Amino acid sequence: MNKLYYVCKYTPIELLEALGADCANLNEMPEGFECADQIAHPNICGFGKAVIEQVMSGQVKELVLVNCCDTIRSVYDILAESGKLDFLYMLDMLRSTGECSRERTVAQLHGLAKAYSEYRGTTFDREAFFKAFRPNPKCKGPYISILGARMGAELYDMVQKCMPYPVENDSCVNNRSVGEMLPPEDADFDGLMEWYAAELLRQLPCMRMMDNTGRRQLYNNPNLKGIIYHTVKFCDFYSFEYAQVKRDATVPLLKIESDYTLQSSGQLLTRLQAFAESIAVDWQEGTEKKMGKGYFAGIDSGSTSTDVVILDKDKNIVTGIILPTGAGAAAGAERALEEALQDAGLERGDIDAMVTTGYGRTAISEGDRSITEITCHAKGAHFLDPSVRTVIDIGGQDSKVIRLDENGAVVNFVMNDKCAAGTGRFLEMMARTMEMSLDEMSKAGLKYKEDITISSMCTVFAESEVVSLIAQNKATDDIVHGLNKAVASKTAALAKRVGGEERYMMTGGVSKNQSLVKTLEEKLGTTLVVNDKAQLCGALGAALFAMDMVERA
Amino acid sequence: MSIVDVFGEYVDKLCDKDPQKARVLLRTGWQYQDLKFKFMPDRRLLPADRYLARLMMDTMLKPLKAPEQTAIVSIFTPAELLQEVGLSPYNAEGFSCYLSASKVERSCLQQAENTGIAETLCSYHKTFLGAAQRGLLPKPRCIVYTSLMCDANLLTFRALSQLYDVPLFAIDVPLQQNEENVQYVAKQLRDLAAFLEKHTGKKVDEDSLRARLETSKRTLEKFRQFQMARADRYIPEDLVSPLYCGMTNNLLLGTPQEEKYVDMLLHDVQSAPAKKGKHIYWMHTIPFWSEAVQKELLFNENSQIVGCELSQVNEPDFDPSSPYEALAHRMVYHALNGSVTRRIDAGIRHAKEAGADGVVWFDHWGCKHTMGGAQLAKHKFEEAGLPLLILDGDGCDRSHGGEGQTSTRLGAFLEMLNGDKL
Repeated sequence: MNKLYYVCKYTPIELLEALGADCANLNEMPEGFECADQIAHPNICGFGKAVIEQVMSGQVKELVLVNCCDTIRSVYDILAESGKLDFLYMLDMLRSTGECSRERTVAQLHGLAKAYSEYRGTTFDREAFFKAFRPNPKCKGPYISILGARMGAELYDMVQKCMPYPVENDSCVNNRSVGEMLPPEDADFDGLMEWYAAELLRQLPCMRMMDNTGRRQLYNNPNLKGIIYHTVKFCDFYSFEYAQVKRDATVPLLKIESDYTLQSSGQLLTRLQAFAESIAVDWQEGTEKKMGKGYFAGIDSGSTSTDVVILDKDKNIVTGIILPTGAGAAAGAERALEEALQDAGLERGDIDAMVTTGYGRTAISEGDRSITEITCHAKGAHFLDPSVRTVIDIGGQDSKVIRLDENGAVVNFVMNDKCAAGTGRFLEMMARTMEMSLDEMSKAGLKYKEDITISSMCTVFAESEVVSLIAQNKATDDIVHGLNKAVASKTAALAKRVGGEERYMMTGGVSKNQSLVKTLEEKLGTTLVVNDKAQLCGALGAALFAMDMVERA
Repeated sequence: MSIVDVFGEYVDKLCDKDPQKARVLLRTGWQYQDLKFKFMPDRRLLPADRYLARLMMDTMLKPLKAPEQTAIVSIFTPAELLQEVGLSPYNAEGFSCYLSASKVERSCLQQAENTGIAETLCSYHKTFLGAAQRGLLPKPRCIVYTSLMCDANLLTFRALSQLYDVPLFAIDVPLQQNEENVQYVAKQLRDLAAFLEKHTGKKVDEDSLRARLETSKRTLEKFRQFQMARADRYIPEDLVSPLYCGMTNNLLLGTPQEEKYVDMLLHDVQSAPAKKGKHIYWMHTIPFWSEAVQKELLFNENSQIVGCELSQVNEPDFDPSSPYEALAHRMVYHALNGSVTRRIDAGIRHAKEAGADGVVWFDHWGCKHTMGGAQLAKHKFEEAGLPLLILDGDGCDRSHGGEGQTSTRLGAFLEMLNGDKL
């Protein structure tokens, strides 16, 4: 028998089960959106596209939608036209919960019941209806809550594995609460539908409802230890709530965004792990090491370069090495470590403990533990300058802003989206377009005369804007300044989002770019601390963590 | 740097220091523009469209001059009830257009994004919200919006009501077209009348409302006559007049000014020369700022816009004698409500009436409904014999432009339509 899929918590699942349906939440993340991009548009919500993919691949034959949002409305139009489904229905759910709205919902329930029983040739089974009401079990002790837009099953699994507490999925369709109450025994079908409509509308409102003040209870639970606020690219509803939660919530908060593909979930691992590190007190315990010769190494395996720092027992930097990562993270790390050891005149056995960080951290088998670059950057920056409260790290493939407390622990952090705009890669690509080295670029923007604005945020479009500026014979210095401004405003926006505070330190390879640093300082209205060890900050933090492992033993 | 660039930059900088002063500067700039429309109108336009430019500018200036006599509204909020209690429309989409034309949109967009608002939200909504957050826009008497057509309405207006701490009224419009839904909306409109009476101290007079709806009905009928009359005529067109009309035919519907405008159109079309070049019907908003679009369609005898969907979303098939039901009927049967095929069918009908040779379906950034229906539209318009170009862009935010792409796509489409004359 085919499963009947639904996408929204306002779907009358119990009614459909009473009509013989086997209901399931459609929540898988596809590999990509090849088909949906073609028959819909790339710039609609990823979940909507995931629904199209599943239907077009033939996996879904029965689907009940709700007019949740503009994307789902379009998905309905497209799927109705495709003729791929045996049963497709859209409930016209109103956005207010008043008396009139309940009456209209009752009419919708009758309409759906009629359509589905005609399709299946079944009648309403009263006993099955009563049985379908099952309460949704909730966490009893401390927990982490996922809020916001719906989260795909695969990403949810990943979150559960990373977090130090049980995870409650309170996002979108998942906080459905129908089932806590049982229908009145003595009511006839019409009476049951009256009661049921009220029960559906009584749920915690979703963001599309006109009055959604009740949602505050989602983040006011005393057992709540942290919030992972999830948004889906091109779903705008939840960014509004995020803006509010960010203001009002009193527990640690992580914002992540996915486009509902499997690829996007992989990229989120670093953020999730860093968040887990910041909320769990006991994560640093684990492998304990004995003090040997008193040397500690940190390896930061980034997308562009692999950095190694070796510290002695007095926290002096014995050596700091920066090498291009090359094709493989593991091989790159091996090479960099060897070079560092050679530079310091040490052997592998002299290193008491080693911590790996950066994108390639888990690919390296050498280390004693791996810690995200966010936590390591904070530690490293604090070591270099204890007055620093905000670290801006613009790396090759992403940029981050990290806020730290007076002990160097992460308070909050944000990272750029998947897009390359505002990262080191963006500048590299532009330097290539302008046929100059990064070094030349670093100085060029300092001497600008005309204040050019590059308006495109997209790297590809910005490149074509640069090409046309070159064609207009605009001075190189002016164009570079325009590019710096584009990166600086993206970064300043991140800093504002995380609530950046004085003093600011800039780390990562891009901190060597003098003209960008200057533009960013202007945008932020403050000065940036740029340490000569800025590029080694992540590796330094890792080495300090390695030292902590031993000192505690 | 152009005057507008300098103006925009001044307003922007001043807004960071003193939003009140920035608002005065903005008002002064727009008043100057209003005077220019009065004394130095663009003579290339029809007299009717010159009148329209001023009408629109006056509408935009009212909230800056006397905000307490205005209500922030979404574009499809029925205007007649507000007129009854003497409130002028303070329209989010329209304001964002004018802020963009004054080149202050970027910092407003950035402000909204800094608070965590998604960069994928419609830029009209985001610009308005950002401008309000920066203190550039004054506080209205109240806010009235409808869920019709666009999710962003549900978000932006709620956020604005919190920001300004003013009363909010939402009209929920169901998707399906039936009498029960008309009654559901009519009930809400009666509640809206009571809400407006409470917050303005003025009475909604039913006879007067009936008369307004009769004006609206006549205006829509005459506008349709004009659109049909232009099918074999050449009317010089810029990029903003069709867009203005898309605004006034919603926001000012029921006013004698809007009726005067369509009367002028009907008068002007009689002396218009015979058709020249290709007629383009435009679906959704128009990126008036885009040089690539200007190059092809601004006062161009080879191709002109002959209508914008937004000016033809309401059909005159309502009965003014029951005014609340009439307004409710208009909203439930609105061309952009329900399945996208209703929207496409209306577009095909209107494009054919205006003698269109081709249609542009403009995927305005952030408009999920328009983007989601794009491929269906392509198929159905072309089945009806109307070539359709899907054009991605942004009506308001220059950073989503991609001017090179716009130029190539639009240029190639027009070349294709002109295939016989290349």
